[in-house]
Amino acid sequence: MTKEEFISSGLLELFATGIASPEETQMVQNHLAQFPELQQELNEIEMSLENYALSQSVPPTASVKEKLLKELFSNEEKKESKEAPVVSINKKYLIPLFYKSIAAAVFILLIGSMILNYSYFNKYHKAQDALEVAEKQLQQKEKSNEAMSRDLDVVTNKYAMPVVLNGTAHAPDALAKIFWMKNTGQVYIDPTNLPQVPDGMQYQLWGIVDGKPVSGGMIETSKGTYHIQKMKSFGKVDAFAITLEKAGGSPTPTMDQMIVSAKM
Amino acid sequence: MQSGDQSAFEYLYDHYSGALNAVIFKLINDQQLAEDILQEAFVKIWNNFSSYDASKGRLFTWMLNITRNLTIDTIRSKGYKKQSKIQAAESVVSYTSNNIDENNKFDSIGIRQQTLLLKEDQKQVIDLAYFEGFTQEEISKKLGIPLGTVKTRMRTAISVLRKLLQA
Repeated sequence: MTKEEFISSGLLELFATGIASPEETQMVQNHLAQFPELQQELNEIEMSLENYALSQSVPPTASVKEKLLKELFSNEEKKESKEAPVVSINKKYLIPLFYKSIAAAVFILLIGSMILNYSYFNKYHKAQDALEVAEKQLQQKEKSNEAMSRDLDVVTNKYAMPVVLNGTAHAPDALAKIFWMKNTGQVYIDPTNLPQVPDGMQYQLWGIVDGKPVSGGMIETSKGTYHIQKMKSFGKVDAFAITLEKAGGSPTPTMDQMIVSAKM
Repeated sequence: MQSGDQSAFEYLYDHYSGALNAVIFKLINDQQLAEDILQEAFVKIWNNFSSYDASKGRLFTWMLNITRNLTIDTIRSKGYKKQSKIQAAESVVSYTSNNIDENNKFDSIGIRQQTLLLKEDQKQVIDLAYFEGFTQEEISKKLGIPLGTVKTRMRTAISVLRKLLQA
């Protein structure tokens, strides 16, 4: 159809009033696309119909407008709830999609953080174990260092008089050293070279003062390491001896268990 | 922004509520129900305003379609039958004209010149199609005229309206 034929066909009028059949509607749309100036024609038809509709106006009660203004502009929440059923369809699809991606991201982060946690937790434990071992070692070293420096202090003291107690017939290889402080009378003993003590027994130091044996104290050997130990002080002494006694010591020396001795 | 929206809405309402109300009245013989539908229609129009596409037709045509569809949906959901829709359409005439003849009715609204020239049979096809959403076949059946007559009568009626518009 030419443009003029189409205009006089009356199809635009049917289209504008909404009663064009599907085929007629299709034809109108094709012609509108082909001849843009037909849009003006259609617009005039619609305007005349609109004008006619306006001429038929029946004004509604004033309360309708009031209700609408209240519903649409003064109470947004009410408007939301009224429209909720319409919106919910969209929400059903839109919001889960949005949250799904968030949830996926959160889940990935969670898994990643769990893996990191696990690995760091293992590392942390290993590090703590290693630290404990190192601290123990350090404590042991410090202890032995301390003991050694204590030993050394005794040995290097300028007042220290070394006395060697040689082995008796009972223990020819045994040997003990005494460091006797000439200024204070303090007695230190180095039991390193005494034989191993049998169970339930202990070495006891004796000082011979005016021909009588006086106990100089028990020699500590149970710790395993024999360090220089401080004994009872002797201001004046004729001789030193060490006997093997039952644990805790004896009031008088068991003479046949004398291991080492030295005369001053 | 909010107040700007409100004044735009008020303009729309003041301009078109009477025409849309008349359309609903033509379909439903119940003033209270008609005004409820009108209110609902304006809410729908306002909330869907962003979906109006000016390139597809005039704003009023779009608003009219929303209003008419809502009215027809309401009639169906309220248990109205097609028969009663036609009856309602006829009884609305008596409601709007307040039992006075057509001329007097238009006199009272002050638009006699606009529609006096439109013959009753021309007015019928426009009302049934444009306001009430009948199809060509339904109009042909209801008025007892051939389909071709519906088409030519529609074209003639609209050309009368277009002359009024230009005058």
